[in-house]
Amino acid sequence: MARPDRSTARRTGAAPVPPSDALSFSEALRGREDAALVALLRARPDLASPSPSTIRSLAARATGRASVDRALAELDTFALQVLEAFAVRGADPHDRAAHVLDVAAVVGGLGPADDVPVDDLTSAASATADRLVLLALVWDAAAPGSPPDLRAAPGVLDSLGPYPAGLLAPEGATAPDDAVLAPLDDAPPGARAILDALTWGPPVGVAPRAESRAVEATRWLVEHGLLERLAGEDAGRVSLPAPVALALRGGLTHRDVRPTPPVPDRTAHAAATVDAEAGRAAEEAVRLVTDLVRLWEQAPPVVLRTGGLGARDLRRLALRLDVDEQAAAQVAELALAAELVADDGEVPASFVPTTLVDAWLADDVADRWADLARAWLASSRTPWVATTRDAAGALRSALDPAHTAGWAARLRRTVLDAAASSPAPLTADDVQDVLAWTTPRAVPPRDAVAGVWRGAELLGVVALGTLGGPGAALLAEADGGSGDGADPVAALDAVLPPEVDDLLLQGDLTGIVPGRPTRDLARLVDDAATVESRGGALTVRFTLESVTRALAAGSAGDADTLLAALARHTRGTVPQPLEYLVRDAARRFGRVRVGAALSYVRVDDPALVASFLADPALRATGLHQLGPTVLAAHVPAAELRAALASSGVSAALEDDEGRTVSTETDRPRTVPPGRRRGRSRYGAPVAPTSVPAERAARAAGLAAARAEAVVGELRSRDALAQADASWRRGDGAVLATPRPDAEAGSGGRRPPRGASQARGTTEPGDLLGLLHDAIAEQSLVSLETVDARGVPVTRTVRPLRLEGGRLRAVDPARDAELTVAVHRIARVVPQAARPPAAPTTRTEDA
Amino acid sequence: MTDGPLIVQSDKTLLLEVDHPQAAEARRAIAPFAELERAPEHVHTYRLTPLGLWNARAAGHDAEQVVAALMDYSRYPVPHPLLVDVAETMARYGRLQLVKHPTHGLVLQSLDRAVLTEVLRSKRTAGLLGERIDEDTVVVHPSERGHLKQVLVKLGWPAEDLAGYVDGEHHDIALTPDGWELRPYQEHAVESFWHGGSGVVVLPCGAGKTLVGAGAMAKSSTTTLILVTNTVSARQWKDELVKRTSLTEDEIGEYSGARKEIKPVTIATYQVLTTKRKGVYTHLELLDARDWGLVVYDEVHLLPAPIFRMTADLQARRRLGLTATLVREDGREDEVFSLIGPKRFDAPWKDIEAQGYIAPAECVEVRLTLPDGERMAYATAEPEDKYRLASSASGKNRVVEQILARHPEDQALVIGQYIDQLHELAEHLDAPLITGETTVRERQRLFDAFRTGEIQHLVVSKVANFSIDLPEASVAIQVSGSFGSRQEEAQRLGRVMRPKHDGRTAHFYAVVARDTVDQDFAAHRQRFLAEQGYAYRIVDAEDLEAELAG
Repeated sequence: MARPDRSTARRTGAAPVPPSDALSFSEALRGREDAALVALLRARPDLASPSPSTIRSLAARATGRASVDRALAELDTFALQVLEAFAVRGADPHDRAAHVLDVAAVVGGLGPADDVPVDDLTSAASATADRLVLLALVWDAAAPGSPPDLRAAPGVLDSLGPYPAGLLAPEGATAPDDAVLAPLDDAPPGARAILDALTWGPPVGVAPRAESRAVEATRWLVEHGLLERLAGEDAGRVSLPAPVALALRGGLTHRDVRPTPPVPDRTAHAAATVDAEAGRAAEEAVRLVTDLVRLWEQAPPVVLRTGGLGARDLRRLALRLDVDEQAAAQVAELALAAELVADDGEVPASFVPTTLVDAWLADDVADRWADLARAWLASSRTPWVATTRDAAGALRSALDPAHTAGWAARLRRTVLDAAASSPAPLTADDVQDVLAWTTPRAVPPRDAVAGVWRGAELLGVVALGTLGGPGAALLAEADGGSGDGADPVAALDAVLPPEVDDLLLQGDLTGIVPGRPTRDLARLVDDAATVESRGGALTVRFTLESVTRALAAGSAGDADTLLAALARHTRGTVPQPLEYLVRDAARRFGRVRVGAALSYVRVDDPALVASFLADPALRATGLHQLGPTVLAAHVPAAELRAALASSGVSAALEDDEGRTVSTETDRPRTVPPGRRRGRSRYGAPVAPTSVPAERAARAAGLAAARAEAVVGELRSRDALAQADASWRRGDGAVLATPRPDAEAGSGGRRPPRGASQARGTTEPGDLLGLLHDAIAEQSLVSLETVDARGVPVTRTVRPLRLEGGRLRAVDPARDAELTVAVHRIARVVPQAARPPAAPTTRTEDA
Repeated sequence: MTDGPLIVQSDKTLLLEVDHPQAAEARRAIAPFAELERAPEHVHTYRLTPLGLWNARAAGHDAEQVVAALMDYSRYPVPHPLLVDVAETMARYGRLQLVKHPTHGLVLQSLDRAVLTEVLRSKRTAGLLGERIDEDTVVVHPSERGHLKQVLVKLGWPAEDLAGYVDGEHHDIALTPDGWELRPYQEHAVESFWHGGSGVVVLPCGAGKTLVGAGAMAKSSTTTLILVTNTVSARQWKDELVKRTSLTEDEIGEYSGARKEIKPVTIATYQVLTTKRKGVYTHLELLDARDWGLVVYDEVHLLPAPIFRMTADLQARRRLGLTATLVREDGREDEVFSLIGPKRFDAPWKDIEAQGYIAPAECVEVRLTLPDGERMAYATAEPEDKYRLASSASGKNRVVEQILARHPEDQALVIGQYIDQLHELAEHLDAPLITGETTVRERQRLFDAFRTGEIQHLVVSKVANFSIDLPEASVAIQVSGSFGSRQEEAQRLGRVMRPKHDGRTAHFYAVVARDTVDQDFAAHRQRFLAEQGYAYRIVDAEDLEAELAG
């Protein structure tokens, strides 16, 4: 990124950066309507916090590198091209009068745009120019009443990079100078080729050394002013001056203007088709998350030490859900984002369903989907990172808490916006291209865009490359809309096929729901059968295992209840084979029983059992009979033994294998946790770690009310500062009026006149503003700097130029130039303006 | 699109609701490209497979027609990816063609060079193809025609076989409909087969597949080779052909273990063809003996593996496969299709029953509880013995008796797997026994006696699984079978499905030991029939007892 040495050579000791620039820009800002300032602050919210104290400091901030970069990052390709055109054309301060730029001139010089009629291009460029003006990236330097003189704001050229529009950063005249090209007719062979290579940028190339023809051509070009040799660290390179480049380009700034984002050449699908697919995907997503929750309810996976989900658990999940691992990771992330599962924080930790799950499961499909979709949209998680490998080759796990990014939610919005505004169906690559056009200076990473797109497809927000009805409603709601168009639940309901309460039962033990089952019916077939086929209808098969499962789950209870439930939903009767199957399962089911007990009593004599059961003193132990000679109790063995002892029964304590354990010493012992039988490990569901956040996305940018408040304050403070400055300058008219009370708003304390109150500032923003002013007025300032050892040094200097974080100034007393880093400047106090004869130089101690 | 009879599932199955007013129409529309998988009482399941779609292409249907048929009758929006998949699959057909080159003979021609390259690069086509004539054409070894077609299907680039058929030696054959005629579905089956060139006809047991074969022979009017499963069956075919066609006894030869006659119409057994002596197939010359115009494979679901390779040479001739149950437990149905031809005709059993051509049948599973002693023996037995123990439970004898007592007037067959059990049963019931050891002559005699009603009950082993024609058998009791074989179950049911003169319902009983592998196998076996609409009613053996007592 070398700058041509020549221009620095030109600059030393030459005229400083023209005074009118910085001041005029802040004056122009001051001259704007309040509403325009409000709009500026809303569009560039970084300018409003902390709130600027004066217009000048606002201007300084607005032209600072950081803020300009941020503003440029928001511009789309076309806006950047237009801005480049302004920056490149208006760069010559001396030739200002020669090119008064208006939009038409810029557009005329833009270049060709495929398939876009000139009128459309002009109006697009106009609108864009207006926006750039609003953003204070372009400003009108003309006096009010004169025709507009639009130019790029200070700092823009710096931020646009070393070669804006592929031209060498213009320092001099940038009017296309056709005269310059005149000698080309006699150019040696190869000269044209060299020029062509550099014409559209980048304008710097390595000078040929070997081939004699090229060397000769280069020499000739340099001689005729068409090329310049670079020196110093760029020795061996040549550059194409901007005017020459522009002339070669025929006066056009850009070769290929792109006023609209790229649109793939595909026909759009019918809305009904897209909606149908979206509905299908949405249902499927809800089902997958439901299955995941149920699976992890019974068998919660362990949380890795790093906080994520283990590879083996992911594989198990993928198998169970019948999807690939990447999709399984997405489903898990969805559940996490919606706070349906969470790390339970125990030792060891597992992922378990949260307390939100029950309410969610009881909801309708559309409501459940809306919860998932909203959570996804607002989530800052980056699920696409899971199942990839990092630099060391280690697998990144799903649900890793480190996989978040502040820009994730914003990216999702942007991707959906791209889908919403595209007339043709998109693939992930197309979305990437659109985003590359929309924010070329801040292109999101490809895998992130692809990951977001995949997430949108999984949820059915996007289907067949198009934003579906429910997806559009989701987006509208997030944008703050209301009413039918912004209700994702209603939108999905409209798109799903009607629910069906019918179950067709057949003699081959299959059942078919000819449509989307109602919640009750879905629950019933889910419990009692295995699903064989999904789609518009649901086919299930009843097997001994599935029916037993239903009976065991207790939801069906016994055979009669289950059969009654089936009969309720079926036309006709339950086929005999199925009825027999259910009764058979019920018959087998009760035969093996499992229960929990803390200890047991085993006796030889059944009569003892009866006596224990009857003994009131033993009731507290919860003794109940398991078999003719076995009883179980709800208290630990030692306690049971003690209770029996107090009832006059001396019992021997035995271990797992029936061997008597010696108990003469009364040392307390407990069965190690691993051997404890009957203890349930999975406790109650975990409360979510945060209160469910507001699901609607916040509006980007600054709220209107806040911006207005900032502008209000700014005006009043600025007015005071202005008046103050005029007074200090010795403005006669103003001298007549009493000095404005700068502290009026803050408690009424009047600073005494002439007191050693520093008029200057330590505020960095204002500091730059004061320096700019001083440069413009060519006045003196008292500069307090801090040297490397931290010792403050005060000097009176006349600032010359402020750029790249450094101030060049002249010390009139020593007639020496000095350069100071801006961050070392502690205080700036403006002195009176010229002539230096005025005895107003005050060196004040800070 | 709303309220149609068809529901298209994402897994490429099509559900047809039988009671819907448009069901018949929809069925006709999807039959050309969808395979009937199951036909229970309310909803029939069809499946879209690449092979089925390619056959539709071969028959002249294109993707638009298929998509239109799906969308016209579908109740809900058809999943878009499925439609795209259908179109893409069908587009793969016909990129390769088998044609007869005037100088090089059988060649493989491609309309898409990239496809040919891909196919040639595959290891599977090695050895089947000869020299490359030009960029788009490759010679095919004529004997590998069938094999190549199979391989191409597997590679996903099915070839359109335009190489035509060898006509074969002409021989007059005509049906002689004197007092009888072909039933509508039989005519339909013959037409479908003829129109398709070669293929498989699937009809329920007792629906008259032999006549379909005869009809095809009449259409072809050429020398015909008929391959059957056993000698008894061969004799049955001969009798039927003599009765129904213009063929005389002299024109039909039998080529089996016993006889070696080669005549214009020759009936051979699979067994004799696959006989090897000193590692060589001794009877392969049969295949070249005459210029056969038509080859008929009876019970094609039983096509032994060697035949798959061996009869490839017959690829140039029309081939007809006949069966009632094209399901194999080894999953090789696809090989049958690619070697003989695709399914040309299929009819749900219940439809044929509704038309009155096969007897209505009731299937019952009688569950027998094993006594404690046997239960303990079962629980502690080796896994390979478990089925035998369970299925030969002694209690079954009593159950068989009880069942027969319920049907005092009916001719009954008792069928089983284990010879000891069958011996016991035969003694118990005082009925004759036919096993593999019984001579052919003795079998014929017993079958004839059964037919005339001289014998009322017959105990048979699995030799009687197929082909034997006992029209008056109206009760079959199965005590054991070949583990989980669905096709055996269906074939056994088939023994009693010939329509009875008085229209009575046929009964099929499977006696099963509860809570054993016998029950598990039974569940699997019954699946095919259940899917055809023959749901089993399950009855406890104890209830039978009570019924009889009461």
